Amino acid sequence: MQNKLRMPSKETILAKIKTNRPNLWPLPDVPIFETSVTDKKKLFIQILERGGSKVHCIDDSSQIHQVITTHFPENNRMVSTLPLLEGMEGITTLHPDFYEGTEVAIIEGLIGVAENGALWVTENELGKVRVLPFIAQHLVMVISAKNIVGTMHEAYKILGLPTTEGFGVFIAGPSKTADIEQSLVIGAQGARSLLVIVTP
Amino acid sequence: MMPHAQKAAIFNKDEARTDWHDASLWMVRKKRDFAVSEIPEWEFLREFASDIKMHTLSKLDDYLESFEKAAIQNGAIVHWAADAKEHNDIVLSILNKHQAKKMVKSKSMLTEECHLNEFLEHHNIEVIDSDLGERIIQMLNEPPSHIVLPAIHLKKEEIGELFHRELHTEKGATDPQYLTEAARHHLREKFHTAQVALTGVNFGIAETGEIVVCTNEGNADMGVHLTPVQIHSMGIEKLIPRRSDLAVFTRLLARSATGQPVTVFTSHHRNPKPAGEMHIILVDNGRTEQLGKPDFRSSLKCIRCGACMNTCPIYRRSGGHSYETTIPGPIGSILTPGIDLKKHGQLPFASTLCGSCTDVCPVKIDIHTQLYKWRQIVSEAGLPEGGNKTMMSIMGSGLASPSFFHRLGNIGRKLLRLFPGKERFLSFTVWTKDRDLPKAPVESFREWYAKQTKDAQ
Repeated sequence: MQNKLRMPSKETILAKIKTNRPNLWPLPDVPIFETSVTDKKKLFIQILERGGSKVHCIDDSSQIHQVITTHFPENNRMVSTLPLLEGMEGITTLHPDFYEGTEVAIIEGLIGVAENGALWVTENELGKVRVLPFIAQHLVMVISAKNIVGTMHEAYKILGLPTTEGFGVFIAGPSKTADIEQSLVIGAQGARSLLVIVTP
Repeated sequence: MMPHAQKAAIFNKDEARTDWHDASLWMVRKKRDFAVSEIPEWEFLREFASDIKMHTLSKLDDYLESFEKAAIQNGAIVHWAADAKEHNDIVLSILNKHQAKKMVKSKSMLTEECHLNEFLEHHNIEVIDSDLGERIIQMLNEPPSHIVLPAIHLKKEEIGELFHRELHTEKGATDPQYLTEAARHHLREKFHTAQVALTGVNFGIAETGEIVVCTNEGNADMGVHLTPVQIHSMGIEKLIPRRSDLAVFTRLLARSATGQPVTVFTSHHRNPKPAGEMHIILVDNGRTEQLGKPDFRSSLKCIRCGACMNTCPIYRRSGGHSYETTIPGPIGSILTPGIDLKKHGQLPFASTLCGSCTDVCPVKIDIHTQLYKWRQIVSEAGLPEGGNKTMMSIMGSGLASPSFFHRLGNIGRKLLRLFPGKERFLSFTVWTKDRDLPKAPVESFREWYAKQTKDAQ
């Protein structure tokens, strides 16, 4: 009986907030802070390398394949969501476990952020296989230099609100941990390395 | 419960280890300073972050409703939990609904606060903490000693020994690379076999119903994307109004926490994966109570970066476990007395009130002011607070009366000259513990001044 009479938690919580909340505090308009650095591409590369990523700049997208085979000469399982590169597998199923054993995943980054080396990607660029950049042993991200912005403010301004994508992520390097005595170890639970290919 | 000072004294017995702990955390603080120096508008960002959070708190009910509406539209299932018990019951009911017996969990201080692991294990659910540091302390059956670096108190030799026992690594192996690799293989298997994944939440966005999780290891994403059911446990104070506000907070969080320019992964989850299920649990557990305390409500701005711990001279030299709270250090010492004054009332005294915590806080919580205010409340409640009472009352009357102060000074100087070094006669106060008093001058300034004016005449 008691249970039936009890107000549901949602109502209890909201009622308590109404009683306890402070007076209205104004919401600030945050300006779009831009970086003072003129060469955003250079800063982007610098920060990525500092965080343990490799960066390779190319003059023409036709060189992507060659860069990848130079970095990964072994004939391993490669999954790509870019327009199919020769010898690579595309998305054939949405079942995430299927992609365990992927040695290299190749995906496109939509926006690069110079101040922290982060690359934005949504599930649309992952063929809806959200786990792909995490489950692969190594990750390759291709980004156009035109899409490199200075700060996170600029990035979120371009991103706006999500429309079709149910998942999006900024990736700023290989997975890492320093949980054992603060010693940096690259390759924790996700990709062991990140190679960023910057196209014009 | 043993008082903080007593636990700290035990921690301090191993001097070399205390120094090591102190230095490890100071290194993180220095990395933070470097990362902060790269952002010229840092102070503006702190101000914006603080205002955004205060604004959200002032309209928290509205924002929670907008968030819920958006999340439901996205296809998520939203639950409300008034307290830890309700939160745990909800998690268990989701597991039961899917007949799940195995759950992977990424770092979540909220579930530590709710003691979720013990609860689920009691109901025969296997819970696997998947953050490396969390997995280590889970295997040791210990609570985290830091909110960002849960195993910061452990030496690699101890972790090597543990992994040899639990994961059959080579005996005597202590190389962090090797040990991390062993954990990677161990956890990969768990990600593929668990039926449910649970994560904490760094930010909930009211306008989109998204939840954002910031990690370095990739464990949260491995769990969420590999299991059919994802659960996100979120304290109600984690809300921010706009997606663009993330620009402010992502710039502040990792720089303050570890000195990285951003966490490796900043994941925005909006809806369940194909054929998946997404649950969001909004948890109060004392937060609305804290919201009603004008002096202390701003503690709810906290984004759990841990910078106040890394900088705190007491935390660094007493270790996280000495606080006996889920959230240790300066921020924990202002969050917990409101939950249980009797149990945690001594913690506001585990501070020098130096204010360093306030200086590094990315959301400008006046931590040391609140520590001071909690002390008033604890003292007024007549609770024991750490052994300084006698000295405080002597000092109080001494400072209130010029003549008594003068006499007290005289006695003090004489005693110091008679018994230099360790001041045994002051053993009733903890102030002289592990500390030497300065050499006593022959005369006080007042005596010297009186002599000077006399000579001048």
